[in-house]
Amino acid sequence: MNLGEITPGARHVFAVFRQETKNDAHVHVGDVHAPDAEMALVLAKEQFARRDPCVNLWVVRYCDIDATRYEDADMLEPATDKSYRFGGSYREQQRVYRRR
Amino acid sequence: MTGLWAAPDAPEVLREGPSREALRALLLAMADDELMLGHRHSEWTGFAPDIESDVALSSIAQDEIGHARILYEQVAALDGTVPDTLAFDRTPSEFRNAILTEQENGDWAYTIVRAWLYDHADAVRLAALAASPLGSFAALAKTLQREEKYHLLFGNAWFTRLAGAGGESRARLQVALDTAWADAAALFEPTPGIERLVDDGLLHRGPAGQAALWAATVGPRLGALGLEVQVDQAVLAAAGGRAGWHTPALTQLLDEMTSVWRTDPRARW
Repeated sequence: MNLGEITPGARHVFAVFRQETKNDAHVHVGDVHAPDAEMALVLAKEQFARRDPCVNLWVVRYCDIDATRYEDADMLEPATDKSYRFGGSYREQQRVYRRR
Repeated sequence: MTGLWAAPDAPEVLREGPSREALRALLLAMADDELMLGHRHSEWTGFAPDIESDVALSSIAQDEIGHARILYEQVAALDGTVPDTLAFDRTPSEFRNAILTEQENGDWAYTIVRAWLYDHADAVRLAALAASPLGSFAALAKTLQREEKYHLLFGNAWFTRLAGAGGESRARLQVALDTAWADAAALFEPTPGIERLVDDGLLHRGPAGQAALWAATVGPRLGALGLEVQVDQAVLAAAGGRAGWHTPALTQLLDEMTSVWRTDPRARW
């Protein structure tokens, strides 16, 4: 199954996003099979929120996700040195990256 | 053993006498209910209809057995017994669980119907305890309510889908409802002395009031789903479990559940 592919199977597979604290971004932690979003949330709670901290869950049908194509991945690679964009010397950047 | 919950405060009324005995009987019945249903739920591990529900129901089983342990600790604190002994070393007739919770799992429809009816009843029962002026018991009930909230979500989600799916799904659900209903109403069979707790103001609502509130909660939901049940006949219909009367299903359950413990009752786990 591919992202964005509209197949009968894709309608019943939901990507689950877990948020650890209200200040964190939701992170994709896995998938659940479910007939609808409500059931997906019910099931996601025990699959993905029973060990790690969690304040909020999102579920998204795979067929509702639009995605780039892996064939186009080369366009995501810079052709010349773009390290000047990284901004790694900014203190805020360092704080953000250190958390990961 | 280290308690999972702080020792109960012991107001004058609980030091001795009928209220203490009545509270012990209520907590024992609640603990036995949770242990039996937790064990039955755990029997689905590896066999539920889908992997996600398998994990979810297994977690719920762990929750219920954890609740049983907390409640046994409170019983033990009141009567000087030992929680493990209460759970593993009693004969079937010494258990006070409602018969509903010991019945075999049957099919998935029965499991969901039973869980749904039970969790709604448990919510009413816990609410009565949560409103008690006995601070530590009220706090204990509020702690258990947090996990029970999810049990209700899970049960509601499955129950409404099985009912709405039509065909064999709905037919099985109706059969399960017919099978489980009288046993579920008997969850409110009074434990010894429970009216005394109400009279003393230690319990917010007695068995009859709890049963009525439960029927008023599940009845309209069943109606909205077009499911039929004889609500008026069933309230407080069958008695037995709270007096130690049980079915062969409990003997079978205890044989299985205590098999490891019985190999060496004095072992420390």
